[in-house]
Amino acid sequence: MRNYIIKRLAYTLVIAWGVLTVTFVLLRLGPGSPADKYLANIAARGGNVAEVIANIEARYGLNKPLYEQYWDYLVNLVRGDWGWSTSTSMPVMELLARHWIYSAQLILLSFLLASFFGIAIGIYSAVKQHTRTDYLATFLSFVGISIPNFWLGIMLILVFGVKLGWFKTYYDTGLPIFSLANLEALVLPVFTLSTGMMAGYTRYARSSTLDNLRLDFVTAARAKGVPERTVILKHVFRNAMLPIITIILFDLGAIVFGGAYLTEIVFGIPGLGRISFNAIFADDYPVVVAVTLIGAFLVLVTNLVTDIIYTYLDPRIRYV
Amino acid sequence: MSDSRPPVTLMELVLRYRRRIFLLAFLLYLVLLGVDLATEGRILPPTAYAYLLFLLLLLFYALPPLYSSRRLTRYYWERTRRHRLALLGLGFIFLLVAVALVGPFLTADPTRVNFKEKSLPPVGFSTEQFTFDITTGQIVTKETPGTWSHPLGTDGEGRDMVAMLVSGARVSLQVGLLATGIAIFLGVVLGIVSAYLGGWVDNALMRFTDIMMTFPFFLLLIFIVYRFGQSLELIILAIGLTGWTGTARLVRSEALSLRTRDFVVAARALGASGTRIVFRHLIPNTVSTIIVIATLSIPGIIVAESALSFIGLGDPTVASWGRTLSAGQRALDTAWWIAVEPGIVLFLTVLAFNFLGDGMRDAFDPRSEA
Repeated sequence: MRNYIIKRLAYTLVIAWGVLTVTFVLLRLGPGSPADKYLANIAARGGNVAEVIANIEARYGLNKPLYEQYWDYLVNLVRGDWGWSTSTSMPVMELLARHWIYSAQLILLSFLLASFFGIAIGIYSAVKQHTRTDYLATFLSFVGISIPNFWLGIMLILVFGVKLGWFKTYYDTGLPIFSLANLEALVLPVFTLSTGMMAGYTRYARSSTLDNLRLDFVTAARAKGVPERTVILKHVFRNAMLPIITIILFDLGAIVFGGAYLTEIVFGIPGLGRISFNAIFADDYPVVVAVTLIGAFLVLVTNLVTDIIYTYLDPRIRYV
Repeated sequence: MSDSRPPVTLMELVLRYRRRIFLLAFLLYLVLLGVDLATEGRILPPTAYAYLLFLLLLLFYALPPLYSSRRLTRYYWERTRRHRLALLGLGFIFLLVAVALVGPFLTADPTRVNFKEKSLPPVGFSTEQFTFDITTGQIVTKETPGTWSHPLGTDGEGRDMVAMLVSGARVSLQVGLLATGIAIFLGVVLGIVSAYLGGWVDNALMRFTDIMMTFPFFLLLIFIVYRFGQSLELIILAIGLTGWTGTARLVRSEALSLRTRDFVVAARALGASGTRIVFRHLIPNTVSTIIVIATLSIPGIIVAESALSFIGLGDPTVASWGRTLSAGQRALDTAWWIAVEPGIVLFLTVLAFNFLGDGMRDAFDPRSEA
């Protein structure tokens, strides 16, 4: 198992290198130089454009040959020098350090809510398969998956913010993170983000539970007179949780980050999505690159963690 | 289809010479494209070419198998039909396609701005509008009801909502079909190549797939559109070029398991060439998987385009649902319908594709019961 973990870690590094390379290629492949807009931005604040461009090119090494630029790009990123954000006048790392917590707060709360209710509803729905409750849960999970979350957010603002006036429609950054006062501002965004997640988890939990309900050991347990409650909670639940955990963790990186991006924009929460959004329209490309990379690294880490957790959770799996 | 019997119906005739007719049509297509590129006369817009190719492939490679194995087609249809929601979804999609095709000729110009009729509510609703009265110099409140000339109201610049929704349907379907087409095509090619060649090619392709899968789809899309520009063609291409990873993996694993099945081994023992095995055995047997995954990836792609337009990275020249929605969010306290209406249509479209895809998955794969 130790060998497996070491191998898995090495592979993660290879993929991380691949992610950096793809990003670099995309940056260079686009029309013009990636720094064009960025440079124009600086130049617009006064000074000789040509001179500023020359200075910047020298400073950022844009006049070097491509392979040297590539090498510098990798080395800088690894060393934690993620560039300078022109629109906010601070290093990108500093900007990320200030804002990541807002995304984390939103994602964590939504995740807790969605995983608890999603899994509970999914299992209940599977146990009651072919009843009205099951059909209702299945139908609602379809609705939850299909509802575009940015539109859901706007509808919640319309109904509960504009028409009823129950909640503030804008996020107050003055309030401390994870505080009760902050909770009011987070109700609608968390509901928005967790709806889609919950619907997905319900489906996974339902199908995973159904798969397990059919297995022989369940029949055996029932045959020897184990109460149905114990059968579900002890025998089925534990086994059904394995695939659910995997899928949920996979989603956390890949899908949730995109959903959080949009939720932050709709509700004005100053997380990573929002700063990337602002950076796009301020032509501040290092920030856009940084948020994309963070998303990818998050997926990488969750995948790694999932694989390692799996070896502990499922004793049947033996890696060589 | 036996080759000794003389062809009876037109369909059988077409089936027999399918390959040749397709090549001929494809040649014509290339000539048309070549002429267009050489003269820059713009006989057809670029997206029309993508559509034509899509149509050609559909006509020659999707419909004939359905016809030649009618019994199987009927079996799948019966199984799909048992899902009432899937049928409902299919009906809605047909309706949407019809609206997108015919609608633009029947509705007003979605780009026509008319400030005299701005922010009109839908029929049956009314709002208070503030106008500045020039004669008295006073600001007057006027109760404005919706009118039948704009059944769903107008937006903040007086554009007809019906016309904008119809135009948005066209955009969404274009993106949904074309981008999915590109993504599925790439995924199938890469998956089959990977499985069939194996060795270092398989290794390299699958590592590349892993790398591409690591990027959260929407973030990568934002990055590409930000870097390469915001035209509709580019957005379609960007979605197609990033959305193939899941298909590639699935097709590869299907092809890998098919490769060791007896009928493939037998075909190879009988001396079948590599291309014959790929086109006769591997691809036809993965078609049901491909169709299901295509149907299920359309909604995600449609939402991705709407979300791009919503955050302002869409094509600024087309009235897509996402763009209307984002204008609606800014006018939420004065004109709620601008945000509500495109969202409802988008939601129903996504729901319809999800229902259909789910029904088809159940029909094609009796083992899974999700």
